[in-house]
Amino acid sequence: MLQAATKQTIQQKPRKSNNKLRIKNGLIGWSFITIATLMIGLFYFYPMAQALILSFQSGAGSNLQFVGFDNYIRLFTDPTFIAAVKNTVTYLIIQVPIMIILALLISVLLNDKKLKLKGFFRTAIFLPCITSLVAYSVVFKYLFGSDGIINQMLINFSLISEPIQWLTDPFWAKVTIIIAITWRWTGYNMIFYLSALQNVDNSIYEAAKIDGANAFQQFFKITIPMLKPIILFTSITSTIGTLQLFDEVMNITKGGPGNATLTISQYIYNLSFKYTPDFGYAATVSYAIVIMIVIFSIIQFKVAGDKNA
Amino acid sequence: MKKLLALIMVCMLLLAACSSGSSNGTESEKGSADANEITVWAWDPNFNIKALELAKEAYASENPDLKVNIIENAQDDIVQKLNTSLSSGTTKGLPNIVLIEDYRAKSFLQAYPDMFHPLTGSFETKDFVQYKVEATSVDGENYGLPFDTGATGLYVRTDYLAEAGYTVEDLQNIDWKEYIEIGKKVKEATGKRLLTYDPNDLGILRTMIQSAGKWYVKEDGTTIDLANNEALKLSFKIYKELVDNDLMNFHSDWNEFLATFNGGEVATVTTGNWITPSIKAEASQSGKWAVVPHPSLPGMESVNASNLGGASWYVLDVPGKENAVDFLTKTFGSNVDLYQKFVTEIGAIGTYIPAAEGEAYKTKDEFFGGQSIVSDFSKWAEEIPQVNYGMHTYAIEDILVVAMQNYLAGQDLDKVLKEAQQQAETQIK
Repeated sequence: MLQAATKQTIQQKPRKSNNKLRIKNGLIGWSFITIATLMIGLFYFYPMAQALILSFQSGAGSNLQFVGFDNYIRLFTDPTFIAAVKNTVTYLIIQVPIMIILALLISVLLNDKKLKLKGFFRTAIFLPCITSLVAYSVVFKYLFGSDGIINQMLINFSLISEPIQWLTDPFWAKVTIIIAITWRWTGYNMIFYLSALQNVDNSIYEAAKIDGANAFQQFFKITIPMLKPIILFTSITSTIGTLQLFDEVMNITKGGPGNATLTISQYIYNLSFKYTPDFGYAATVSYAIVIMIVIFSIIQFKVAGDKNA
Repeated sequence: MKKLLALIMVCMLLLAACSSGSSNGTESEKGSADANEITVWAWDPNFNIKALELAKEAYASENPDLKVNIIENAQDDIVQKLNTSLSSGTTKGLPNIVLIEDYRAKSFLQAYPDMFHPLTGSFETKDFVQYKVEATSVDGENYGLPFDTGATGLYVRTDYLAEAGYTVEDLQNIDWKEYIEIGKKVKEATGKRLLTYDPNDLGILRTMIQSAGKWYVKEDGTTIDLANNEALKLSFKIYKELVDNDLMNFHSDWNEFLATFNGGEVATVTTGNWITPSIKAEASQSGKWAVVPHPSLPGMESVNASNLGGASWYVLDVPGKENAVDFLTKTFGSNVDLYQKFVTEIGAIGTYIPAAEGEAYKTKDEFFGGQSIVSDFSKWAEEIPQVNYGMHTYAIEDILVVAMQNYLAGQDLDKVLKEAQQQAETQIK
């Protein structure tokens, strides 16, 4: 009782100046946030809102008119859009798992304590990530040309007799794109796994070894569960990245042959710049990407089903 | 506190610098409008830019006061810049004169009405090739001053033909059926395919249907004309025949295209005359090439002339437009000597009819066995049927590329064209 009383008296005395200080602190804090908030509002949320409004309009160039939900209805009957979604989802379903598994394996190999020249391998595998998207796409285009080095190699090794039409055959063009993006992004994901692996306590592995677990068991029972949040993170970022895929396809195949490799982002580009511009419908398509990203992310969270993830 | 003060001062300084910078910008822009200065955008340094420089020289000798700024941009960049600026309703930072490809012209003119300055009456339209005037006009109003022609020809390797027992005479004014027959024999004799094409680019279809006076749309420029377009159907059949007989080589980009004919892989090249410099780039093949008229569509009204590509000059409705019009009409619009220079120095063939009487047009080209190809091309250019390209050439073509793939894969022609028609109708309003 006495203790409580003294506490109150102590607190009561400086309350006035304390309040002032709190307000001042608050103001300083808010002033720091305001600039960022205003900027984000101005450069992120305002354009987003404008794009949303735009997505309800349609017309050529500057002759835009409100058309209600027509654009959204048109999405579902537009074969080009559907083809673009199919292609993008194909990349997603095939490429993301391949890349994640590859990145995992490589990072586990590189995390080996006994490995020599670790720094060199790490750099070599990460290096593709710092190359320019356009530059590497152009290089891939030449590598995979019908008389490119890949075909010549395969022919010289007598693996094939006729050159594979990597860029002009609908099936192989997709394969080329998948190979290209896997090459570019595996190292990027590997870095996340590596840093996560270095946080895993070595004593867990030691304990497992003492209990007689082999390398496979260690990998599946320790490494994967320990990396789960990172795996979730990388698969979400990769999913978003794949849904927004543009540079590679634009530079390697231009979406062709036909629209066999067309992605949603490239379709947006075509709608606004290649054809007679219809910015309204292009905005609608970009909102379709937003919705898809949200849905895919929710699915991944649910599948991974972890609270701390 | 001192630091805060310093920060604020730095911020103010920056802001001041920015605002003064922008006011400078507007001042100089205003200045350009008054002080006889115009800006021109174009692409391709070896072709359009060179032509502009020659025009600038010619104009400066008579009107030394006007300063002409020539700025080179890639075509895609020009299209993007125009689209973004015009759609936001601002003409700030846009040039006075811009080069636009004929297939895209109407899309700009109709998507951004009032942004372009009409040229009706400022030059003689009947002095220009008719199909070009049609391509640059909307609702009877001329907006563009025609520049180069994309008149097509059939470039042939005379040595390969000779091996198969043909001479250049056998290829004059042939139709596509005869062309395929010749191609089969040439392939038997030399093992070389007949031509090379990018499966993503249906330029060859465009040349075929334009030679019959047809396009992807009807004369009004908006009614989609695919399903019942006999010329298009026939062109699809010819394309498939070329592929099925393995006469068609596929390339995936421009460099591969050049490598294919420079390396002697194909017996003919069928495209616009702007390919001439690239063909001549392989000096070792001098004397082995000839140019014959473009094949016509068999069994229907079709001429041995067509068009692929080509661009024209447009004046934007911004301050300085009077100077811009004056510059264009006195150079590209009426200067015969200038057109002779285009031919001798660049190899660019214009669409200004009086220029064809000039000496440079009649020069014989040793690379093509002494043929005067420039006068041949300008003769063919006058025969090109005029069509209304409409606004949606590239949008429709992307649909047709898919239709073509389906057709080549064995689907029924009427069915694929009907589907393409439906798709185009829902996509284009």
